[in-house]
Order: sequence, then C-alpha cells, then structure tokens
Amino acid sequence: MAEQPHALPYGVGRFSHRFLILLAVLTGVVVWGLFAYAHQLAEGLVVKGLRDIGTMGGATWGLYVAFVIYFVGVSFAGITVAALIRLFHLDHLRPVSRMAEALTIIALILAASCVVADLGQPLRGIINLFRYARPQSPFFGTFSLVVSGYLFASLVYLYLDGRRDAALMARRPSRLQGFYRLWAAGYRDTPAERARHERVTLWLALAIVPLLVTAHSTLGFVFGIQSGRPGWYSTLQAPGFVVLAGVSGIGLLLIIAAIMRVTLPEGKEVHVGIFRWLGTLLLFLTVVYLYFMVAELLTTLYTGTRHEAEISRSLLVGEYAWLFWGSVTGLVLGALVLSLRFLPTNVQTRLPSVSPRWPVLLLIGALLLTGLLALQGLDLISPFSATTARWLASVAAVLALLALVLSLPYLSRNLVAASVIAGILVNLAAIGKRILIVVPSQTHGNLLPYGTGWYQPTWSEISIIVGLFALGALLYTLFFKIFPVMEVHAHEEGAA
Amino acid sequence: MARYAMVIDLDRCTGCRACMMACKVENNTPQANFWMYVFRFEEGHYPNTHIWFMPRPCMHCDNPPCAKVCPVGARYKRVDGLVATDWDRCIGCRYCEVACPYGVNYFNWKKPSKNYYLDWQAKDVQEVTGGAVPPYRNPDLDQPYGAERRRTAGGGRLKGVIEKCTFCVHRVERGQKPACVQNCPLFALHFGDLDDPNSTVSQLLRRKPSFRLLEELGTEPRVYYVGGHPPSSESHQIEEVRVRV
Amino acid sequence: MRTVLTIAMVLLGFFLQFITYFFLTAPWDPVYSNPRIPFAPALFILGVMLVFLAAVVYELLPDRQVQ
Repeated sequence: MAEQPHALPYGVGRFSHRFLILLAVLTGVVVWGLFAYAHQLAEGLVVKGLRDIGTMGGATWGLYVAFVIYFVGVSFAGITVAALIRLFHLDHLRPVSRMAEALTIIALILAASCVVADLGQPLRGIINLFRYARPQSPFFGTFSLVVSGYLFASLVYLYLDGRRDAALMARRPSRLQGFYRLWAAGYRDTPAERARHERVTLWLALAIVPLLVTAHSTLGFVFGIQSGRPGWYSTLQAPGFVVLAGVSGIGLLLIIAAIMRVTLPEGKEVHVGIFRWLGTLLLFLTVVYLYFMVAELLTTLYTGTRHEAEISRSLLVGEYAWLFWGSVTGLVLGALVLSLRFLPTNVQTRLPSVSPRWPVLLLIGALLLTGLLALQGLDLISPFSATTARWLASVAAVLALLALVLSLPYLSRNLVAASVIAGILVNLAAIGKRILIVVPSQTHGNLLPYGTGWYQPTWSEISIIVGLFALGALLYTLFFKIFPVMEVHAHEEGAA
Repeated sequence: MARYAMVIDLDRCTGCRACMMACKVENNTPQANFWMYVFRFEEGHYPNTHIWFMPRPCMHCDNPPCAKVCPVGARYKRVDGLVATDWDRCIGCRYCEVACPYGVNYFNWKKPSKNYYLDWQAKDVQEVTGGAVPPYRNPDLDQPYGAERRRTAGGGRLKGVIEKCTFCVHRVERGQKPACVQNCPLFALHFGDLDDPNSTVSQLLRRKPSFRLLEELGTEPRVYYVGGHPPSSESHQIEEVRVRV
Repeated sequence: MRTVLTIAMVLLGFFLQFITYFFLTAPWDPVYSNPRIPFAPALFILGVMLVFLAAVVYELLPDRQVQ
C-alpha cells in the first residue's frame, strides 16, 4: 500500500531512548512491589505495621485502605470530566477527554489491586465476593458498583469514544493496524453513525453521573455508618468523599495534561484554556472541601462526645497534628496558587521576578531532609535523635514553604506551572486526609478504655503502594503508545 | 430455641484471669489473641482509689455490627444468638474488626503454627521435653456446628482470617458451659438460656440490676454485667496490655 | 430493531439487578447469612454490565441493509 510510512500522530508507536529508560525504571519499581507482595503472601500480613484494635493497640486498616480510597477518588475526575464535556458541550476541553477516561480506568484497576493486597486471603476474596456478597455490607456497593459497574461503564465509554479515532488510525499502515480495525469494528464515520454515537454518549454520560455519585458515596458509607467508631460516624462522610475525590482526581488530571503538553509534539493542543477551566473547578471543589472539614470539626469539638473530641484533639494538637496541618496547608496553598490568576495583570507584572534556581534548590533541600526523616520513621536508619528529627522536620517544612513563596511570581505568570504545583499540593493533601480518615479512629477511637494505639507503616506496605503507582504510570504510558491521546483530525490523516 | 446469654458478676470477679487462660487452652488461640480479656481498672487518685475488674468476652450482640458489615457472610448471627465466624469463608478484609465497638476480633497476622507461646520444635525446648510434642488438639473444634453446619469452633486456624470468641460453640451444643465460665473459681461468670426462667442467668438478671456495655449504640449485647458499673472516663487500666505479634 | 434490542437489554439488566438484590442475595433478616442462590452477587454485577453493554450493542449492531 503506502510505501512511505506516515508517522502516527501523538507519538503513538514511537519509542525514544528516554521513553525506554522510563519504562525500564517503572518496570523495576513494579517488580520490587511484586517482590514485597510475595513476601507479604508468604509471611502473612504481619509484615505490615497493622495490628488488631483493642488489646494489641493497633490499627487494622492502614495505608492500603487509605490508598484504595485515594485511587477510587482519582478515578472520579476522569469520567466526570468526560461526561461533563459531553453533557454541557464543553468542546474546548475535548483534548483532555481521553486522558481523563484512561485515568479513571487505570485508577480503578489500581484500587482493585489495592483491595486485593489488603485481604488476608486474596484468592478467597476474589471467589467469595462473587459467590456470597451481601447487599447489607457497605462493601457490596464498593465491589459491585465501583469496581464492576463503574469500571465497566468507563471501559464502554472509552471504547465507544475511541472508535472514530481507531477507524482513522486503521487507514494508515502500521503494525497496529489490525488492532485499530478490531477497535473500530466497522466504523466508517458516516453521518448516521456519528449521530448514533452522539446519542449513545449522551445517554451514557447521563447514566454515569448518578452512578458516579453513588459509587463514591458508597465508599464514604463504608466509614460513615459505623456508629462504633468515633470520627467515622458522620453524615458528611459521603459528600466529603465525593468532593475530595474530585479534588485529587482533577489535580492529577492537571498534572497529566501538563506532562502531555510538554512531551507530545502536538502538545500545544492541550491549550491554556483547559488549565484555566479545570483549575477553576479544582479551586471550587477545594474550597467546598475545606468548608466541609471545618463544619465537621466544629461539630465534633463543640458538641461531640468524649471520644469524638479525643479524635479531633489527636488531629488538631495530638499525634496526627503534623499530618493534619500538613494536609490543610496543602489544600489552602493549592487553592492559593490556583487563585493567583485572578490577580489583576498590573499586579502580576509588578511582582519581582526571582530566578527559578532558588526555589528549586530549596525544594531539593526540603525533599532530601524529608527523605532522611522518612527513612528514620521507618526505623531503617536512625541518625538523629527524636528532638533533632522534629527540628529537621520543621526546617524541611520552612524550606518547602520558602520555595513556594519565592516561586509565586513565576506561578502567577505561568498558568500551566501553577496548575501542576496546585495539583501536586492537593494530591499530597488528599493522600494525607485519606490516611487521617482511616487511621486515627482506630488508634484513638476505642469506646472501651483500651488506651491509645499506634500505627506505623512498614517498608513492605510502602513498597507495594509505590509499586502500584508505578504500575499505573506504566499502563498509562503504554496505553497512549498504542492509542492516540487526543482526537485524530480527519484532515490530518490526509492520505485516506 | 434457646436464647443464650452470659451474665458477669463484677462483685465476684477478682481479676485472676483464669478465664483468659481457660479460653486460650480450650480454643488454641495464638499468641496475643485474647478472646476473653479481663480489664483491671483503677479509679480515683491515691490514696482514694478503687480497683475493679471487668471480663470482656465477645458480646454476641443481637444487632451485631460485625455481622452487618461482613461482605461475604462469614460472620453471622445464629438463631440461638451466638455470633459465629466461619473461618472457611472469611476473606480477611477485617471490616468486622473496625465495625466492632468492643475490640473483640483478632486477626491471624501470621501463620498460627508459628505464633504460639512455646515453639515445641525449638532446640532448647526439645532438650527439656525430650522431643515430645503435645499432640493435643480437641477434635471437637473441627466439627461443623449449628443449623447451617458451618465450621465455626476454635481458633488458630489459618493466617489471614478473623477469629473471635465463639461462646465455645462446641461445648454449648453439647450442653456444657463455655470454658471461661466452667473455670471461673469464684462463679463470677454465668452462662445459660434466657428463655428458661429457672436458669442461673435468668434468676440473676431478675434479682440484680444489670447493665450492658455501650448499650447506647443499639448493638443489644447478650453479655450482661451485674453488681458494678460500666467503665467511665475515670477508669484506667492498671497496666495496659500491649502485646503484639 | 436496534432501539428495541437496546431497551430490552437495559430493562433486563435492571430487572436482573432488582431481583438479585432483593430476592436472590442474602435477605436483610440478620439471622440469614447465605445468598438464596449461590453466585447471586455475580448475577447482580452481570445486570449492571448488561445495562452498559446495551450502549455497545446499540452502536455496533450492523445495519440490515449492508451493501
């Protein structure tokens, strides 16, 4: 057929050296995570920092459950954004539509793997849930609606949405032609087919939005309807979950969109308008979440029972204060960075510009310190005394804050960079908040006087989580090496 | 159908923890798992202190939060009131444990055979025992019980499943009392049928005022306490038991 | 034909969800712990999937007058 192999758009099928190195690194991390999981399978869950609530003074749900919630939360952004684009005809956002859909699917796969990693009997879990699952358990919704319904609906949406592009790609000779033909399944881009597709996506979007709210609320109800755990038993739990899900998901989507903008040859198609729109949505959701948080804290502090008050105290001034205030700072700073663009232009131009070298240097210093402290926290090495560690933690926090302050003028002029920084901040905050939802109610929320407990994650838990992140990144990059990340333009494929 | 319940007389309990010991021997529970646990409380400040003891088995609630949340029906309520754990079905998600306000669930974090107090295979132990390994494991524990014939008795089964107090289902079904009740030297623990007006538990509950733990949560526990008061913010454990596996 | 099939699939999916949720899985009676028929939850999920699969059928069903 065509002798000159016309390169496929959006870097599909092109593997540069840098990309191969990235793949190798990610695969290495995934293998390390698998090793940690094999270790856990062989030894039992004793390799984790979790222990029984009560006389063992531990938390029985820890990082895994926190990250299940986080991953499911991230999946929120994807299909919501895709459905919003379809429902409200936000056509200028179309370039991120497929990124968002793929993000949903991969985040849900990660969430499911995270659940399996948490089970004491993973094989039984997979079989018995299908066999015996009971609707009375809040897990039923998580398992049937989130993992099957939501994942399946997203797959269907991605598949149908991609058919037109697959058909266009299939016209070009490449090694993947057969795959595209299979995906396109006879799509010829006739007006009738296009109209049908429009109708289907409308109905799918209409069906997905309620499913989405239900699915995320279900996960909130896993915690929200447990009257025996102070700190969990709250009506705001489910709405809070949905909103924080949006925060973390849209934050991550912003980061991904920025990466695509920088790395792809056609990156400019992810235009600034997208960042502006998503940034505003993120800002709105962050503020709503902060409002929910304050409302909930005020209630428990003012009128809560002794145990509720104890949990709130452990968050505000106690054992978890560093994580709580760190997360709140992340959310507030994220909102601040996002609202920089509302500064009047004359103020923006009048801000003194700082060489980006200084914030980056400060940030590297802060990260190095944090890494050292984390190693000490895991009891792998302990070069400092407890007091020194506390001081160093404050130093790291001050360095990071200083870095952010110094980069503010730059961020106020560069919307994309501001979105990425905000995305990172709110995602770290979201992870922190997820951990704070899961853990303190178990260690400090015993209604019988068992005394307070403690939970410290081990290297094995963290390795598995990091491995899951690497797996997600691997699947994501590989998927967009075989399928275009944005819509293929009909005029662009030319030689048809 | 019987309506089993336990009555604990706090006036009689001296905190000897014989019930904890009996439970461990009867059910082969691994290290650090206390299906029966006795709180030793101190109230007030020196010299005006008051010391009292409170045994805490599983409450076998009539509205069990653990059974409600179990995703696969491994934790279930039997018609005679026992809350049973089917370790053949448990997937190890530990939802029952976070749902339970009493903290009575114990997960097998590692292989139970590697998690007993004494490692009979260890060299220095074998020097003393002359290589003898006690063969004893009550065969009753391996039988299926209840109308549904599910394997719910005993502990120390598999790694990665939840276990908790069974009210010694294997003894109760034969008309015996749970091991803790049987072994209490001071008759502080009583077990029986609430539907039988002549049973010890019915008589005790008629005679003395009683309370149940965390009644306000609506869990409707089947364990009644007489002759004392519920623990309050004043009650502190004398030494907190903090054993981890 | 296309529309009828799709609507039928959606209705069947919801019907399957309804009967499995209320009648085939474990009833809300606290004493009851087993599903009335085994693998009823799998049927429920099948119902959820059927509803969304209807969209694929609607789009992929070939026209009758294929040249």
